[in-house]
Amino acid sequence: MTKDTALEARLLGKRYGGRTRGWALRECDFALPAGRICALVGPNGAGKSTLLALAAGLLRPTEGTIHAPAREHLAYVAQDKPLHPRLSVADTLRMGRELNPGRWDDTVARRITEGGGFSSDTLVRELSGGQRTRVALALALGKRPELLLLDEPMADLDPLARHQLMGLLMADAAEHGTTVVMSSHILTELEGACDHLLLLHDGKVRLDGSVEELLAAHTLLTGPIADLAPHTVVESRTTGRQLTALVRHEGPVEGPWDTAEPSLEDLLLAHLRTTEGAPA
Amino acid sequence: MSTLALKGPYWVTVRQYRRTLWLAVAAVAVSLAVIGGLRIWDAQTPEIQLEDGYRIPTDDTRAYETLRLALEYGSAWLLFLPLLVGAFVAGPLVAREFESGTYKLSLTQSVSPADWLRSKLLTATAVALLTTLALIGVFRIGWSRVSGTYGLGWADRGSYEATGIVLFAYVLAAVAVGALVGQLIRRTLVAMAATGLVMGVVVLVLGTFRWSFLAVKTATAPAGPTLWTPENGLTMETGLLTSSGAHFDRLICWEEAARTPGTDATEGLWGKVEAQCQARHGVTTQYVDYHPESHFWPTQLIESGILLALAALAAFAAFRVLRARHP
Repeated sequence: MTKDTALEARLLGKRYGGRTRGWALRECDFALPAGRICALVGPNGAGKSTLLALAAGLLRPTEGTIHAPAREHLAYVAQDKPLHPRLSVADTLRMGRELNPGRWDDTVARRITEGGGFSSDTLVRELSGGQRTRVALALALGKRPELLLLDEPMADLDPLARHQLMGLLMADAAEHGTTVVMSSHILTELEGACDHLLLLHDGKVRLDGSVEELLAAHTLLTGPIADLAPHTVVESRTTGRQLTALVRHEGPVEGPWDTAEPSLEDLLLAHLRTTEGAPA
Repeated sequence: MSTLALKGPYWVTVRQYRRTLWLAVAAVAVSLAVIGGLRIWDAQTPEIQLEDGYRIPTDDTRAYETLRLALEYGSAWLLFLPLLVGAFVAGPLVAREFESGTYKLSLTQSVSPADWLRSKLLTATAVALLTTLALIGVFRIGWSRVSGTYGLGWADRGSYEATGIVLFAYVLAAVAVGALVGQLIRRTLVAMAATGLVMGVVVLVLGTFRWSFLAVKTATAPAGPTLWTPENGLTMETGLLTSSGAHFDRLICWEEAARTPGTDATEGLWGKVEAQCQARHGVTTQYVDYHPESHFWPTQLIESGILLALAALAAFAAFRVLRARHP
């Protein structure tokens, strides 16, 4: 792994349990440049959580390798936002300081917990789902990580809190050059925030690259039904005599169609729809 | 028990389980209050002065009898201490982290997994040993008054563990076994039950075989009046020998006496018939196999050695399992 790569997988594979079980992740190959905000997307069971847990060092790969920063330099927020239920919020933040000596930044952590509508002596088990998310994020950011791994971070938050926390997160990441890998189902959450995309399906990497390049490589076209060769069709739909298709173009798209660059949401939906239920 | 001086994962462990800590303190305080109270009550009740200068508690002294009862039960409770400690370490301390998923939090901080487990186990060990020491101290306060009475002799189960060092070794083994089982069975309640079971079996098995560690001493005397076990010893076996040195089954003459008419009505006849029968069969000697009280400490040391070996093995395995699963 070079200095400019924050996370790198080489033929990474993970299988839970014995040989009879299927692969949660197989032959994953990618290198994530440092400083990127990476969206990790894919249908349920695609291996997103497994990949994040492997990156966090909580699991051992069954095969292949994954290179991530050392434990001190990464932070991980699991999907269920695990926290010790009987510690107060203040104690939880103190735990962050105790377990990360020399790195802990209390100001950052407090900035995240403020505005959550709870006092610092509230017990964690008395917090709502969204409030727990705040505390878990505070713990992760207070550690000052180089790589921040977030598994469905915003799922429990109301739109307002989501907007506010995404803002804080992005500002903090930009300020410190933190690399962020964030899995999400909420596509609007990713639009505008992420500059890198990793799409998983059936434990394999289907799309990997900077959002800008991926968008530029695809074309959304509408027009009469005609042969789309030599372009690779990601998804096509016909309504009457009208064709709508998302293609990965080979050279310039020339034909009777109206062309446009797809939005990130168009691109993701098209890929998710075609991979869903399709044989791997 | 100030949490101010503690650092890092030790602070986290103490903070997380502070209720359990207070529970341990409360248990010690309650037992001290009970035993101390009973001793004070007992001390206020006058004893009977016997003619030969001995002083004994009066028969109707409730205080003395209650103290004895409290210690008999108390010593039995002390045997449960390793089970409780093991169950706590296996369940709330280790398995719950995996069951509730908080290990994902704990193991992605700057401390290594080994440091994390070590801090948990060392904290639990320190607290468990201090609690054991305090409870043994409380037991001693009561035991010094009633030691040697029925059920509370040096070799009796309960007293034996509570007056030596083996209980500390049991507690250490319980912590290590709990750490291993808690990781292997990542369910709080199941891990607690399994560890309690394992430690229960260890307590029972060692309690059964501890008097086989050392060879017994044998005392012999001519057949006749009852041979008492010397050296305040623990009697293992008594019996009769014929002149040729062969063991003689006491039941043979007991049955003959039982068959003889009138032995249950006439005083002294039973003994006479039995003695005649034994003489007829050539019985010359009686013997007693026993452990003298001086075997107390060697037996304690051997038993502790076995337990410490078990503790070391379990602890080693616990850290191996952790390293195998979490890089």
